[in-house]
Amino acid sequence: MRPSLLPRLAPAALALVLTGAALSGCATRPPADDREAQEEFRATNDPIEPWNRAMYDVHQAIDTAVLRPVAVGYRAVLPQPVRTGISNFLSNLRSPVVAMNDALQGETQRFGETLGRFLLNSTLGVGGFIDVARDFGLPPHTEDFGQTFAVAGVEEGPYLFIPILGPSNPRDLLGFGVGIAADPLTWLTFGHPDAMDIANYARAGVTVVSTREGLLDALDDVQRSSLDPYATLRSAYRQQRAREIANTPGATPAAPQGLGTGLPDSTPRSPQP
Amino acid sequence: MIARRTLLAAGAALAMARAFPASAQPVDTARAAAFIQATGQELVAAINGRGAVAQRRDQVAAILRRAVDVEGVGRFILGRYLRQATPDEQAQYMRLFEEVLIRNLSARFGEYQGVRFSLGRSQQRTEDDALVNTVVERPNAAPVSLDWRVSEVGGQPRIVDLIAEGTSLRLTTRSEYASVIGRNGGRVSALLDAMRQQVAQLSSREGG
Repeated sequence: MRPSLLPRLAPAALALVLTGAALSGCATRPPADDREAQEEFRATNDPIEPWNRAMYDVHQAIDTAVLRPVAVGYRAVLPQPVRTGISNFLSNLRSPVVAMNDALQGETQRFGETLGRFLLNSTLGVGGFIDVARDFGLPPHTEDFGQTFAVAGVEEGPYLFIPILGPSNPRDLLGFGVGIAADPLTWLTFGHPDAMDIANYARAGVTVVSTREGLLDALDDVQRSSLDPYATLRSAYRQQRAREIANTPGATPAAPQGLGTGLPDSTPRSPQP
Repeated sequence: MIARRTLLAAGAALAMARAFPASAQPVDTARAAAFIQATGQELVAAINGRGAVAQRRDQVAAILRRAVDVEGVGRFILGRYLRQATPDEQAQYMRLFEEVLIRNLSARFGEYQGVRFSLGRSQQRTEDDALVNTVVERPNAAPVSLDWRVSEVGGQPRIVDLIAEGTSLRLTTRSEYASVIGRNGGRVSALLDAMRQQVAQLSSREGG
């Protein structure tokens, strides 16, 4: 067994981001006597906003030059059924990690669903390309270590924007690294360490392209209609994470201004911009 | 995200209550679902209609103007800055907000040619409004779950929020506007300038 580079990169990236953020200074806190502004600053949860915005600009440059054009080409070249097949295949590969997190969160029913999906799709679904499990009444869901940490009570920490990875926070970034480290496919070599290394990089590359293609319309819409796409993405990410953590199918039935941790909780919540 | 201290939350709730007078009343879930069903069918008919693009867009805009509580949503989004704005700025904001909201939504829905729409499984009540879940299906795209938050405004059900895959339009827009104002020294007039520019861009893109 030989560990691939990816699990070693994640902690290094986290360290780089955190030191960079510490060095670059923080967002200016509003004056102490402006209670509403203080509360907004806290609810926005972006104390290192100048650094994050710089990282966002880096990401946008990479996105404009590489990621988006590749995603547009991918969409143009491959028809929808093929793209769906690839996306199904990738999500099937994530099943072991999803199942682990279902189990860690004590979600026995969802654990069973994930397991059933993996078995059905890997066999009848031709290695995961066809989502036959959905037709058997086992709809897909995602789960990751960031969500598991949240369920265990770990707070998200300050908002982070990471180039290529996108919106995150220390909890979810750590969860991302743990997810790679805990993935059996990161470690299994099947007797061909070099081939598996290449396969893992190919998988990472295709995942980035497939994910970006899936976000084409939504992100184009943000760029077109938002006066501050950075702020829009920050808010959207935190809302979506709250919903994913709560495992609610639709919208989180929170008070209009409240979001909370996404966990059932009776404590009144602060406004969430 | 993080559960805040009760005191702060209570203070914030108080501030919210002052900013948004009791215009919204509890709404009956079945009534809200029927309202969304009817509005959705109107929208789908307009989107898939035979007319020219501009004509369909105008129809969509007219339906949205009737169905959405534009003023309530606008007030919610500007939040605490509403009270900081001068009466003139408030009036300008409301006019611009309606323009931006309706144009953005009609442009987005206008691309949904061939759309099909159905009520989803879960309809739920919240403290002062109802969430109506719908599933929007478009050709060559995965079905999208869209939730409509419906409130009773002046005795009529009105849409007060649109939630796509867990992301609330009014929450993201509130964050967006607060950020624009915050990055321009807390001046509401900076937001108005940006909105004016956006309206100009939107109308030039629409070709008129």
